Amino acid sequence: MPMHFIFSDEAVLLFDFWRVHSPTGMALSVLVVLLLAVLYEGIKVGKAKLLHKTLESLPATNSQQFILGPDQDSTGSRSTSDNRTRLRWFLCYFGQSLVHVIQVVIGYFVMLAVMSYNTWIFLGVVLGSAVGYYLAYPLLNMT
Amino acid sequence: MNHMGMNHMEMHHHMGMNHTDDNITMPPHHHPTTSASHSHGGGDSMMMMPMTFYFDFKNVNLLFSGLVINTPGEMAGAFVAVFLLAMFYEGLKIAREGLLRKSQVSIRYNSMPVPGPNGTILMETHKTVGQQMLSFPHLLQTVLHIIQVVISYFLMLIFMTYNGYLCIAVAAGAGTGYFLFSWKKAVVVDITEHCH
Repeated sequence: MPMHFIFSDEAVLLFDFWRVHSPTGMALSVLVVLLLAVLYEGIKVGKAKLLHKTLESLPATNSQQFILGPDQDSTGSRSTSDNRTRLRWFLCYFGQSLVHVIQVVIGYFVMLAVMSYNTWIFLGVVLGSAVGYYLAYPLLNMT
Repeated sequence: MNHMGMNHMEMHHHMGMNHTDDNITMPPHHHPTTSASHSHGGGDSMMMMPMTFYFDFKNVNLLFSGLVINTPGEMAGAFVAVFLLAMFYEGLKIAREGLLRKSQVSIRYNSMPVPGPNGTILMETHKTVGQQMLSFPHLLQTVLHIIQVVISYFLMLIFMTYNGYLCIAVAAGAGTGYFLFSWKKAVVVDITEHCH
C-alpha cells in the first residue's frame, strides 16, 4: 500500500475483482472513475432539481406550507387533499432519501479510489468532478 | 495480531508468512516488481489494512485501539452505533441549515426599518454583520461545525475500513437520517459538500 502518489499501471480499486495490470485496464478504470465523479456532481444537482420540481408542481399554498414546516398550518380544514399531498411528499422524500444514499456511496467510492494514491485515477477524479460541475450546475438555474 | 489479521481474511491466504514479516519490519513503500497482492500487506503499524471490500466480523479495528470487533454480537452493536452516528450526522447538517436560515431572517428584519432614508442603509448592514460575528447563533454554528467535521471524519474513517457491514451501516444511516430530518428542508444545494 503506497503512501504517496505514484504513476503506475497497477492498482487494486475498491473490490477484490477490480485489479488493474495493463495500460488499457488503467485507461478503462480512469474512465469509470471519471464517470463516477461526473455522476456524483450530477446527482447533487439532480436531487435539488427534483425537490424544486415537486415543490413547483404542488399548489402554491401547500408548497409554501411545506417549506416553512408542517406545524405552521395545522388547521386541517382540507383533510383529504392534505392526505394526498402528504402521501405524495412521503413518496417524494423516500425517493430523495434513496438518491441521497446513492450520493453518499458514490462519494465514498470516489474517495476510496483516490486513496489508491494512483495519479492517473486521481487525475480522472479531478477531471470528472470538473466536467460534472461544468455540465450540471448550469442546469440548476434552468427551469 | 498481524498474524491473526492474515488468517481471518480468505483473500490473503495465498501470502506467505515471510512476506508478512517483511512488511512488519520494513517501512511501507512501493515495489514495482512485485505483484499487486503485495500492496495488501502494507501498513505502518501492527494493524493490517485491507484494500478491498470484504464481509467479516473478526478482528475489525474501529477507529480506536480498544475497539476491536471479534464476534457477530459486537459487529451488530457496531452496526447500530455507526447507523445512529450517520443518522445524527444528517440531522446535524439539516439542523445547522435551519439555524442559519433563521438567523438570516432575523438579520433581514433588523435591516427592514432602515430603507426609508437615503444614506443610512450601508451603515446599518455593517452594524448587523459585526453583531453577527459575536452573536450567540454564530458561536453555536461554530461549535456545531466542529462536531460535524469530527463526525464526518469518523464516518469517513469507518468507511475506509472496507468492512462491508460497516459501510452499509454508514450508507443506511445516512439515508434514514436524510429521510427523517429533511421534511422541513428547502431547496439548497451544498456546493462545498464533497465526499459525504
